[in-house]
Amino acid sequence: MKPSEILTPIKQRYGTAIQRIDRLDDRRLVLHVDAGALKSICRFLFRDLDARYIAGIGADDRPYSGRFMVAHNFAFDRDGLLASVLAMLPADAPEVDSIAGEVPAASWSEREFHDLVGIVPRNHPNPKRLVLPDGWPDRVHPLRKERPWNDRPDGYDEDRPFAFDPAPPGCVVVPLGPFHPTLDEPAHFRLYVDGEIVRGCEYRGFMVHRGIEKLAESVLTYNDIPMAAERICGICGCVHNVAYAQAVEQAASIPVPPRAEYIRTIMLEIERLHSHLLWVGLAGHILGYDTLFMHCFRIREPVMWIAEKISGNRKTYALCLIGGVRWDITPELHDELDQVLNRLEAQWRPLVSALLEDRNLRRRAAGIGVADRALIKEQGLIGPVARAAGIDIDCRRDHPYAAYDRVDFDVILAQDPDVWGRISVRAREVFESIRIIRQCLVKLPAGLLQAPIADELPIGRIGMSSVEAPRGESHHWLITGENHRPRRWRVRAPTYQNLQGIPAMIRDQRLADMTITLGSIDPCFSCTDRLETVDVRTGAVRVCPPEELRDRLRQRWNEPTTP
Amino acid sequence: MSWWSKLTEALSGLQAGRVTLDYPARPRPLPKRFRGRPIFKAEQCIGCAGCANNCPAREILVFDVCQEVRILKYLGRRCTYCGRCADLCPEKAITMSQTADLATDRIADIQQHLELFMSTCQRCGRCFTEPSPIEQLKLKGYRFDDLGNERWIYRSQAVLGRNDAVDDIPLELD
Repeated sequence: MKPSEILTPIKQRYGTAIQRIDRLDDRRLVLHVDAGALKSICRFLFRDLDARYIAGIGADDRPYSGRFMVAHNFAFDRDGLLASVLAMLPADAPEVDSIAGEVPAASWSEREFHDLVGIVPRNHPNPKRLVLPDGWPDRVHPLRKERPWNDRPDGYDEDRPFAFDPAPPGCVVVPLGPFHPTLDEPAHFRLYVDGEIVRGCEYRGFMVHRGIEKLAESVLTYNDIPMAAERICGICGCVHNVAYAQAVEQAASIPVPPRAEYIRTIMLEIERLHSHLLWVGLAGHILGYDTLFMHCFRIREPVMWIAEKISGNRKTYALCLIGGVRWDITPELHDELDQVLNRLEAQWRPLVSALLEDRNLRRRAAGIGVADRALIKEQGLIGPVARAAGIDIDCRRDHPYAAYDRVDFDVILAQDPDVWGRISVRAREVFESIRIIRQCLVKLPAGLLQAPIADELPIGRIGMSSVEAPRGESHHWLITGENHRPRRWRVRAPTYQNLQGIPAMIRDQRLADMTITLGSIDPCFSCTDRLETVDVRTGAVRVCPPEELRDRLRQRWNEPTTP
Repeated sequence: MSWWSKLTEALSGLQAGRVTLDYPARPRPLPKRFRGRPIFKAEQCIGCAGCANNCPAREILVFDVCQEVRILKYLGRRCTYCGRCADLCPEKAITMSQTADLATDRIADIQQHLELFMSTCQRCGRCFTEPSPIEQLKLKGYRFDDLGNERWIYRSQAVLGRNDAVDDIPLELD
């Protein structure tokens, strides 16, 4: 289907509610619609045209158009089309009908623009705070243009609690997080447990929100942002680096030299190799199978070394600038990378065949963390979670970028929508990555690394880019702006969607399966937010409230340290 | 065939070899492109401030003490070692060294402070050759970075014209 074929039914149905349609190219559409029709159009795209929901964006456009802007992005994976449905809202009443009732996957995005931009999603089913900390004052929205990047608003109330839902009857609350020994990032899950069985959970995260989008809109410039974008994720940084550069290049119509495209593909696949090897190892570790963890880390190390030889760093490659890449693949590196791949394949193949026939592992991982097709559709789950359930989506093939349209590879699928399926998909995807890199090395064309940029970038253009990260699609959306920086840059990392599926994935499962279920989407969590003291003589238990604990800690902090 | 898979695993463990390095007893081998601590050479630096204006972490500050003396300070705290400063320097006065072991309890060990004699330069920023318009210096005239508070003050006049980023330091605009 061409964009025009998708547009025909929308135009027939909504006619004048569609103010303008921009075709950025054959694979990108921007529909400017009336705010009143936004909900209905989104439902039509999501339900009738079976589009996949990507992300919602809120932006403060007042300095330029005098209005607020809200957009919902959809992907037509079979047709290779990304569409952004965009509506403008009046500056004095930034409100829009919530689409989360019709499109559940939009729930977090709407809560996010409520927090950060102050656009109110009317009748949102769960209108709680998502991104901002509990104590942040209500009427301060950090992504509004009048707020400076280093804003410290008055009225921060650190005693303000978060209103969690009441536990279902008969359930005990087990707090998991914000700190947990097995994983790296803080997030809080409030589990409602009935005996051993989890009946539900509520999530409170975003404790490491660093405001990178705000920095990009107010301090950094186009070629600084790749280095910041890379630090969004510690594992798939290069994905964000490339996705951002591609979004700008698309917005400004900058053609990237073919050699740079191939090098981007190679580095993205090197990143996938190290990420998948790391993940399979960690999954083994969470399941108490540390032999696998050791094997994976041993096999993975040469991948890190070759990445360091190519880019100068094991992990943060600092690869892209607008219009190209910074690191060339010399003939020596070419040969070395070839050898690393051969060794990797030789070592990984027997391990995978042993792994996939391991009955103990299979029994432990099968049937837990189930995400069926309905859940995947409703919550917009992506990446190996979707592919394990047999849903054939992969941005590398569906929305080709860099040099993926010039290489041949298979999208790995499984028919087990559980943790076992995800292990199997990731373990086998490693071979496809090796295949892609080998083809790129053979086809690597000579030529420039950087496209010459002769003029300043145009202002007010929209760019969209989806890149398949190891854990799913990373989506970047931006509007170019003044002073060599974007007006608005929205990043939707894959875990943003996948985490929204967690409450359904752990429902009616054992508490002990929580960690691997969460681990299977590849994110993080953990511990208690209060302290119990037990009087050893009387056995009396006294629960120390958080306020007292905090005061005690402060007291300790302020005491002069004894030498 | 679970026993067979266990056996394969055990066998691959026997011939595994090891990737753990003997660090720090032996220094870690660093590849040629490794980017360690940036070294600024005062004798080559012309004080164009191209590095300061294109540092993603805003780690390089420039301050004009008077008509003739310009201070360039590298703060070394949140540097991401991306090497953009070295790439963009028109005089190649910055090199990304192979020094990787930077842990210290004195930040001054990493910081650098260059005092540059600016001779008769008019500080127009024209001696900085940007690879593309994205990197060009929007700033003309003097820089007033706040060295005392180690603050990077402003980037372009365009921003300043609309909102005063600094109100505690007097600024001269064209």
